[in-house]
Amino acid sequence: MSATPMPRPRGSWAGAVACGSLHLYPAAWRARYGDEVRALIEDSGADLRTIASLAWQAMLARIWPPRHLYDPPARMRASLATVAVTWTVLVGLAAVFASFTQAQPWLLHNLTGPRHLVIQWSYWVLDAAVGASLLAVAAGGLPLWLRMLRRARRQRRRREIAWLLGPAVVPVVYLGVASVILSLGRSPGLVPIQPPFVRTTTSFINLANDNVGPWWLMALGFAAGLLAAAGPGLALQSLRPGGPGVTLAARAAGLAVAAMGLAGAASIVAAVALHTWGLAPYRQSGPFAVYLLLFLAAIAAAATSATRGIRAARLPAAA
Amino acid sequence: MTDRLDRWADPPLLVLASLAGGPKHGYAITQDVAQTMGVRLSAGTLYAVISRLESRGLIEPLESEDRRRPYRITGAGAQALAEQSQRMQQVAGVACARLQAQLGGAGA
Repeated sequence: MSATPMPRPRGSWAGAVACGSLHLYPAAWRARYGDEVRALIEDSGADLRTIASLAWQAMLARIWPPRHLYDPPARMRASLATVAVTWTVLVGLAAVFASFTQAQPWLLHNLTGPRHLVIQWSYWVLDAAVGASLLAVAAGGLPLWLRMLRRARRQRRRREIAWLLGPAVVPVVYLGVASVILSLGRSPGLVPIQPPFVRTTTSFINLANDNVGPWWLMALGFAAGLLAAAGPGLALQSLRPGGPGVTLAARAAGLAVAAMGLAGAASIVAAVALHTWGLAPYRQSGPFAVYLLLFLAAIAAAATSATRGIRAARLPAAA
Repeated sequence: MTDRLDRWADPPLLVLASLAGGPKHGYAITQDVAQTMGVRLSAGTLYAVISRLESRGLIEPLESEDRRRPYRITGAGAQALAEQSQRMQQVAGVACARLQAQLGGAGA
């Protein structure tokens, strides 16, 4: 915005780029205003400022999509699919953090007592928040999951049934594969594969066994979790359920993400305390920094998507 | 400081003020705002504002046979514009009166 005269058309390239930059906007925005903006560009011409303005506003429209353009059920389904994946990553990160710190008998033995009350409280908050998050997912997700499963069975949609069974089947397969890996790794003479920040020959990590380091199981676990979480998301897009079940699930997803945010905050407090007051293995910043970055990225994506879902759930057309 | 004071020319306000003179499509709004208020609204800003005002029920689209869809101000939009204009008028009145008093005092 400025007090300068209207720009004269400067050739077709700027107009073409300006019209092309409309593709940066969300699809719903483009469907509603795209033709009008193209007509405006044809009438008034375009320059670099027009292109920059469209690109900037497109980014803002993606961050804060206009509510009146929502198709509430579609927005809630998209939100649920994204939250399912990001929430799984958050739970996975919390599990990894707890496994590497809270669940280590070695750590519990050395960090008990009033001296480490901050760490103890952080873990209690972490456990309670993860529990609350799981309950929220069960309360909101299970009814919708069962409803979709019944519908897929009634309509004999095998692909959707397979997707929906992912969260039940994939963890079982993962546990089976992990058991096989662990039993194979018990062969004598193998060199233990340890996390890179563990300098000692014998790991203080008691997650797997002396021959199989936890990284393999962790990578496999994340892959299995993402696979399991993607199934219901794909089924949501395919079966397109609506009504109160989706609204309830969207609200529960918001609660679940908020609880995971609290869990993450507690884990960060614990991580800082471990780094500050902890024993030697926890004084290295690298792993904690990686954890923090991954957590922040996942919670930002989850919170953004869950907020959009809740906003859509509050619109009159949601039900 | 001058740039910050320029925020009085808030794009939503300019668009509402333009539509208070009658329904207009996007290009007509930019022309009107540029000619009567001396502010050039870019395409991105204009349609961000139109989208926001529409979602708040302050303007509404009219039927159109071509791509140039006109918008008109709603009752709620007219009320919001009137309230904001009144506030600005009060501020402008106070500012003018005080400036006059100060200039008069300095001249005496």
